[in-house]
Order: sequence, then C-alpha cells, then structure tokens
Amino acid sequence: MDRGYIRYRILRIIVCSVGIVILVKLFSMQILSDEYDERATSNIVRTEIEYPMRGEVLDRRGEYLVKSRVCYDVMVIYRELPKEGFDTMRLASILEITPERLKRQLKQAKSSPRAQILVTGYLSQENKLLLDEGGFKGFHTRFRTAREYPRKIGGNLLGYVSEVTADQVKRWDYYDVGDYIGVGGVESAYETTLRGEKGVSYRIYDSHGALQGSYNDGYDDILPVKGAQLTSTIDARLQEFAEELMEGKIGAVVAIEPATGEILAMVSSPSYNPDLMVGRQRNNNYAAMLHNQRQPQFNRAVKAKYPPGSTFKLVQGLVGLQEGVLHASQKYPCDMGFSYGSRKMACHAHKSPLDLKDAVAHSCNAYFCYVFKDMITNKKYGSVKEGVRVWNDYVYSFGFGRQLGTDLYGEGTGYVPTPEYYDRGYNERWNWGTVINCAIGQGDLGCTPLQMANLAAIVANRGYYYVPHIIKHIEGRDSIDRRFYERHYTMVDSIHFVPIVEGMWRSVNVAGTSGNARLEGWDVCGKTGTAQNPNGADHSTFLSFAPKNNPKIAISVYVEHGGFGASIALPIASLIEELYLTDTITRPQMVEAVRNYQPNYTRNYDLKQLRYDEKRKSKK
Amino acid sequence: MLSEYNMSSRGSSRSLFGNLDMVALGIYIAIAVCGVLCITSASFDADSTNIFSPSHNYIKQLIWVAISWTMGTVVLLLDRRFFHAFAIPAYVLGILLLLAVLFLGKEINGAKAWFEIGGIRLQPVEFVKIATALMIARVMSEYSFNINRLTDLIKVALIILVPFIIIVLQNDTGSGLVLGAFLFVFYREGLSKYVYFPILFTIFLFIAAMMFSKVVIFTVLLVLFVLYSIMRVGEVKGHIRFLAGVFLVALLLAVLTPLSGYAALMIACGVSAVGLTAVAIKTRTMMLLWSILMFVYAMVFVPTTDFLFSKLEPHQKNRILTFVGLVDDPKNTGYNVNQSKIAIGSGGMWGKGFMEGTQIQYDYVPEKHTDFIFCIVGEEWGFVGCFVVVALYIGLMLRLMRMGERIKEPFGRIYCYSVAAIILVHVLVNMGMTIGLMPVMGIPLPLMSYGGSSFVAFTLLIMIAIRLDASTSENDIYA
Repeated sequence: MDRGYIRYRILRIIVCSVGIVILVKLFSMQILSDEYDERATSNIVRTEIEYPMRGEVLDRRGEYLVKSRVCYDVMVIYRELPKEGFDTMRLASILEITPERLKRQLKQAKSSPRAQILVTGYLSQENKLLLDEGGFKGFHTRFRTAREYPRKIGGNLLGYVSEVTADQVKRWDYYDVGDYIGVGGVESAYETTLRGEKGVSYRIYDSHGALQGSYNDGYDDILPVKGAQLTSTIDARLQEFAEELMEGKIGAVVAIEPATGEILAMVSSPSYNPDLMVGRQRNNNYAAMLHNQRQPQFNRAVKAKYPPGSTFKLVQGLVGLQEGVLHASQKYPCDMGFSYGSRKMACHAHKSPLDLKDAVAHSCNAYFCYVFKDMITNKKYGSVKEGVRVWNDYVYSFGFGRQLGTDLYGEGTGYVPTPEYYDRGYNERWNWGTVINCAIGQGDLGCTPLQMANLAAIVANRGYYYVPHIIKHIEGRDSIDRRFYERHYTMVDSIHFVPIVEGMWRSVNVAGTSGNARLEGWDVCGKTGTAQNPNGADHSTFLSFAPKNNPKIAISVYVEHGGFGASIALPIASLIEELYLTDTITRPQMVEAVRNYQPNYTRNYDLKQLRYDEKRKSKK
Repeated sequence: MLSEYNMSSRGSSRSLFGNLDMVALGIYIAIAVCGVLCITSASFDADSTNIFSPSHNYIKQLIWVAISWTMGTVVLLLDRRFFHAFAIPAYVLGILLLLAVLFLGKEINGAKAWFEIGGIRLQPVEFVKIATALMIARVMSEYSFNINRLTDLIKVALIILVPFIIIVLQNDTGSGLVLGAFLFVFYREGLSKYVYFPILFTIFLFIAAMMFSKVVIFTVLLVLFVLYSIMRVGEVKGHIRFLAGVFLVALLLAVLTPLSGYAALMIACGVSAVGLTAVAIKTRTMMLLWSILMFVYAMVFVPTTDFLFSKLEPHQKNRILTFVGLVDDPKNTGYNVNQSKIAIGSGGMWGKGFMEGTQIQYDYVPEKHTDFIFCIVGEEWGFVGCFVVVALYIGLMLRLMRMGERIKEPFGRIYCYSVAAIILVHVLVNMGMTIGLMPVMGIPLPLMSYGGSSFVAFTLLIMIAIRLDASTSENDIYA
C-alpha cells in the first residue's frame, strides 16, 4: 500500500467528517431545537389587537343617552415614511389638522423612528377611507370608538371615556397603553360591561411590512366582543328638563321611582355637556373645567354633604313615634321658637299649639325640638349618649351616614354625628342642648341629595326603599344585581308613616309651606327645607313625592344658597313632577320664574374663583 | 483493499458515453435539479401572467442549464490531451480576465468582480478556478516534479498566489480563499504534513486573537508547549520549574514595574526563548528549536493580527466578530445569518413543503436564491432534504476522488482532486455560513445557487473530470 492510498483514505475521512459536522449541526437546529420554529413564527406573525365597540346607553324609554361612533387614531412609523417625501398639504387636509401641526408631529415621531406615534385622533370613517386611498406609506390607523351624546345631557351622571393611565395599565391586565377606560358616572361603574372584550388577530406580514394574509387561516383569531348595551333608568326628557331648570344654580336634583328604586333623573349642577369630553378639544375643555371653582365635574348629587334642614324633621317625627315618645295627636306650643337654657331655636309664625301633622305641614322647629329632646333624654336609655346612639341606628336605617350601595360611581356617605363625635368635639362635656340642632336637620348632619331623595322614597313607600340604581337592564342578562330587588325596611313601622304623609300632603294641599307644589288631581306630598349655613344665604331644599297613594315619583331638590325651600327648590321639584306625571307643563310662568331666579354666589363661589384666578395669574 | 484501489479495469464499451462515470453524472444532474427547484421556489410568482417569461429567475437558470449542458457535451467530445495542452493558455487567459475585470469590471456588493455584457453578468473568477486546476494538474504532473522540493513548491504556490492576489484586490476575498482548496490536493500529492501544522496553527491563533485577551492566549500556549515537551522528553520536574520560573518573572515584572501584564509576560517569554534557543543549539535538539520557532511566530502573529484587525473596514470587522460570537447584533451584520438560521431551523424533519416556506416566501431570508439557497432546502424540505443534498455533495466529492485514484496518469488524478477540493470548500463555507458554522463569505453553493457563471463553471469543472476519467478505458476511442 503506497502513501498516496493512505492519504486518499485520510482525505475521504476529512470529506465525510465535513458532511457529518454539517448534518449534526442541521440535526440540532431542525430536530432538537424549537427555538427556530418560534422565531420563524414571530418573524412573520404580528399580533394585532381588535378593539370592540363600546356599549351604548339608552334611557328608560329606549332613547340613546350615549352612542358609539367609529373613529380612528392616526399613527405614524417614521422609519416607514417614503424617502422622497409626500403631499403634506393633502394629508393635513384629510386629517383636518394644520400642516404646521402635522410637521410638528412628524418631527416628534422622528425621535423614535420605529415606534408608532400618534399623529391625531378622532378621524372620521370617511376621512379614514380618504387616507387609505391616498396610500400614505408609514401612516396607520387604529380603530376606536368615540362617544356621542344626542341630548348633550348627564355629564356627571354618565361620565366619560379617556385613555388609561400608566397606573391603571399596571394594575389591571386587561389594559394596555393607549386603551380607553370609563371615568366617572356610568362609564366607570359599568366599565367591565361597557368595554366588551378585546379580540386578537394574527396576521402574516412579509419582510417589507406588507400584509400577506391571516395566520393559520384565522383559526387562532379571537373576535372582539361588543360591549353590552345598557338601559338606564333615566328619563332623558326629564333629565334634560331638570338640567335646564338647574341652569345657573348650584345644587342637585334626584328623582326616584319609589316602587323600584330606579333613578328617573339625577342632576348635579353646574353640569357640563358630555360632548366636551370627546374629540380633539377635549384636553382644553377638561382644563377649563378643572379651573372652574364651581367644580362642574364634582357630582353633587351623590357626593355633596348638605345639611338637610327641615326635610329631616320627617325622620325625627318617625323616630319619635316608633320610640313611643310621641303620639300623632300630641300637641306642642310654639312661641316663635324653642327655648332651652339661655338659648332659643327660632321658628316662624304659624298657629300654636299644633299637632304632628300640622308641625310637618308648617315645618315647626319647636315641635321637633321637643320630640328630639324627649327621645334622646328618655330614661329608658340611661343617658343622652345612649339616646343619641339609638337615634343613630334609626337614622342609619334610613340610609343616612352610609353608602346606600347604589351602582353610582363615587357614592358619598354623608355624615351623621355620633356620641363619640360629640365626645371628641366637646371633650365629653355635652348634653341634649348641644345636639338639639340635629332635630331640625342642622348642625353636623350631612346628607347627599341622593340620600334625601331616598328619604322621600321611603316616606312614599311608608317605610322601605329599594337601593336606588341607574341601570335597569344589561344587554344579554336576565336581571341586574339582586341587591336592587330587595326591600330595605327602616326601623320605623309602616303605621307611623301615616301622620307624616298626612302632614306632607297638608303642607301642599291644605295649608303649609309647600302650597305652590300643588298639582290638581295628583295629591302631591312635600316638605320644604331651608338650611342655614355659614357661607352665605340659606340653602333651599324640597322633598316630595306624588301621588300620595301609589307614588310614582319621589324627588329631592337642593339649591345651594337658594333661600327658602319654597322659593326655588319647590318650584323646580314641582315642575319636574308635573312633567313626569302629566307629560305637560301647565305653568310656563313658573318655568320662567325658575329660569330667572338666580341665587347670589358672589360671596362664596365667585369670590373663590376670583382669588383662584388671581393666584394662577400671579404664578404665571 | 486492493480490489478497491485497483479500479482501472473498467467497462469496455466502445462508445465514449459508455465509459462515462454514470454515478458522478447522475449526482451532478440530481444537484442541478435540486438547484432549479429551489430557485423556482424562491422566485416563482403566481400572479405573473406568463410563468415562462424569461424575466423569471428560474427560467433564466434553465437557460443557463441548457447552455451549460451544451458546453459540457462539447467538453466530453474533446480529446483528453487537449486539456493538458489547454492548461497554460487557459491559465494565462484567466489571469488576463482577472486583471481586466479589476480595471474594467462592474462593482456589485462592494466587489469589483463582474463583467456586464448586455444584461448578462459574468464572473471570471469562476472560470479561473478551472484554469488554475488545469494549470496545477499540468505542472504537478510533470515527470520531474516533487512537491517536497522547495523550488517546485514555490512554483505551485505562485500559480495559486497570482490569481489569489488579484482576486483579493477585487475585494472578493471569499472567492480567493477557495484557492486554498489546493492544499487538499497537495496533501494527496505527498506534501509533508509538517507544512499543514503551521497553517492550522495560524488559523487557531487567528480565531484565538479575536476571542481572547493576549495574556490568556500566551498563558495557554506556554502551558501547551511545555506539555508537548514533557510528552516528548518524559521529564516533568525541570519543565514545571521552567514554567513556574517564567510565570514568576512575569508576575514580578508586572507588579514591580509599570509594565502591563501582557508586556511583562512577553519579556519573560522572549528572554526564555533566547535562553532555550542557546540550549537547543548547544544540545542540537531540533524539536525544541521548532517549538521555539512556533512560539516566537505566535508572539509576532497575534499582535500583528490585532493591529491589522483594527485597520479593517467596520463591516468586515463586524462580520468576523459576529461569526466568532463577540458581537450579537441580529438586526445588523448577523441579520442575514440569523434569518437564514431561523429559516433552516424551522424546517423540522420533513420541511414545510415546496413553495410553502414562510421565511422564504415572505422574503425574510436575504439573497435566498443566491448565496443563501440552502435555506430553501432547509426550510421547505426539512432535515431529510438537507440530508439528501449534503449526501449528494459528499457523494460527488468521494466519487471524484475515486475517479482520480483510478486514473493512471497524475494529470487526471490531480485534476479530479482539485475539483473535489474546490467543491468541498464551496460546500463547507456556503452551508457552514447558512447554519452559522462559518463567517459570511459571498461564495455560491455549487450547481444550486442562482447564477450563470457559477453554474457553467462547475459544469465544465466536473465534465472535464468525467472526460479525463472516461479516457482511462483501454478502448478509449481517442487514445
């Protein structure tokens, strides 16, 4: 065997080993490793989020309160822009922005050329088609839904839709940067129902970024699920009318259907046009509202703590009757007030002595001071402190001092003073005289307009209420939450409501403070309230339901610094009742009077605004 | 054994074509078919109105195949002595073409290696491979030639170096390195194996210089050389003492003087090298002298490489660094290789099917019909397809070598080995590149990559080998 043959064999081995090395590497890449399969898929497949249409909201008659409309965000990926440039003037006109703004946005996009940068939002469907037709390379659109409000009512009630904050993205898996979320009102309370479910589509793109079709024939795609349509308990017509009446006044209106707890109208005034929170001007509008010291975004109807004033006398009378310290026929004298120690709780001129019905009708301060004093100083409790505690429990059972558990966003609790509160405030040295102002709904009592409307509903129902709610039907579900179908009884027996209701009826229909609320044939029952406060003129409030038997509407109106209960809150409530019960307005002069009645806010809100503006100016 | 070696008694067919090596020819055709299928998959456009329009790459390639087969037939009809005679003019012509393209050629992808005549691109370097193979075969088959004689070695080295230098000047280093394939041939022809050690050592040092710091390289080298010496001499204590001494000196120098660790080690090594040389000369130990020479060579080579590397163009530097794994930059320099690995790796056992490869069809693999054509095999035909293709190439090389062995005259043997070696380098570098075993060098996969010059050149290369082999028959009609 010569050397050449040995070398031939060695070279054969070398050639074969080259083949083996290549095949071993191929085997490990193709058979053993999954890495390349995954990377191949991630190369071609892009996951795209499909946004669902947000659910709409109807009023109780099926009219749209909130509509959804298709719109698009326009995004740009700077790197994909054609190098030879494009028709910026035309693009700007399609996007309905100025060319300067477009250039500014493009300049901004240049700093992160691979990312999708928002150029502008709220592009209409027609303009989106124009954009697609124009073939502007590098510009992409993202499906969105924008809100539309046919009646432009219920700003605080409905809430609005806004982009999620970084914090919300971190907190909830569902949201990604750029998603929309409901803020405030129904939008927030029913967010999970309204938003629907995002879908996913897997699309194949080639290396040039051109769409080549759907991955796996779309088998893995998840279609977006449209948000459920909500039917609200709100009566749009009533809501609009109530907002109109509250124009220029600060306060709240809440109307409830006593038999169901459905909220018919709920106004927090000043309100705002919800359309302001949609579209490209949104940020400016929002900022303007933020600087408004009347706080249009503060939902007074569910959050404000107002002294209930005389309307609270209803509760005092009922508690007295239940506790046996008062009989309906019991008469007390009123000598223009109630004297205790060296002090006197003043009252206005009316007949004296008078029984419970008339005391309700005439809103006698002295009468309820006697009742409250008798109640909390009753020997069976052992001490005033214990008396107040028992009174607390009664008041809580009427829904005061706590959340009612409604479906309203940001529901407040109000405040009911407790013995512990007085202990702290008066260093444990206090007696019935200290707390006597609670008898007439003053002092440290704080109630939300919703709680007051709920009181009206309780009296209308003679002792129970349904948790007030604003949504009566959710598309695709048989019922709403069960808590809205349960009766909640107060600690006062039904029988004791008779004289109270009688007093409220007399107040309107016979003789009393609420004469103007009379509606022929509807047996309106009402109770006025005039709440003193340290900031200015008295708050005007009115609590009412109608008709007396089988009540259809219970309402509370609260107007800050509105004066007497009868002067502004009463006519507003009465007109709303009339519209709801009869579908007509027979007293246009009263509407005119309400419109023309403008409470004086110069000493409080206007002054605050003035100081705030000055401070902002000096900061600048 | 002998029966395998003594393969000269071949078929006694009277016709030339009866004597052709059908195995080699069959493998050649099989590879060409695979190539056309892959090019079709890479360039087929279902939306095209005329799928036979010559604007499609696969039609163009088919035209080239037809041209090649015509030329191949002509080659088979030529007298075998013609190739012997043709070697020198072919070589001279090749060199002239290379020079011409260097000055008149068209630059594509940074390499000035193409002639463009009426829309057809020709790459002379492909034909220079044939000419060089013929020239080498002719020179080495001369009766007085002895590869281990220095003058003869220099002669063949020059034959390779002249085209190599011109090709490197064209900035087509990848093609130039293919000429290194002749080392394979020289080995068969008896070149001393000691010539190969410095070559392998140089490659090792080159890669090491990229990957490790110089102190580490020399520490390892020092230990390796001492271990080798221990193995040869069998004495341990003295060697350990020597090693410890060198390191101690280096350490002391590094700590006590402001010299860097590398400089200190170099001084220690240099001094001991001088000392050991004196010892080696005194005791006349050639082995020691060789080792010292290699070590000193490393001491010169590593810093020089470092220096030259810093002078390289950024993209070349990045290619090398990416290959060695020092740079991980999938979107830039390694992008091609990364995409190619993804395409091949996602092929699985049976592949995604003809024209079904997602990475190929959606254009994620760059140069998919030329340098990265093996990706199509990998992705669409899977491991099974790759196995078949690799086996075809290995089979072709082994067949060519076998053909060489049975040709009695050295000219045919050397030529056949040259062809096998050229194919080996192409396959190793090209496939190795697509699967990340080799750095990116723009050389095609023989007979598969799209491109007329390459296909024609490889056809001629192989056909000449088959023709020379067919002549071995005693009944050669041309004999």
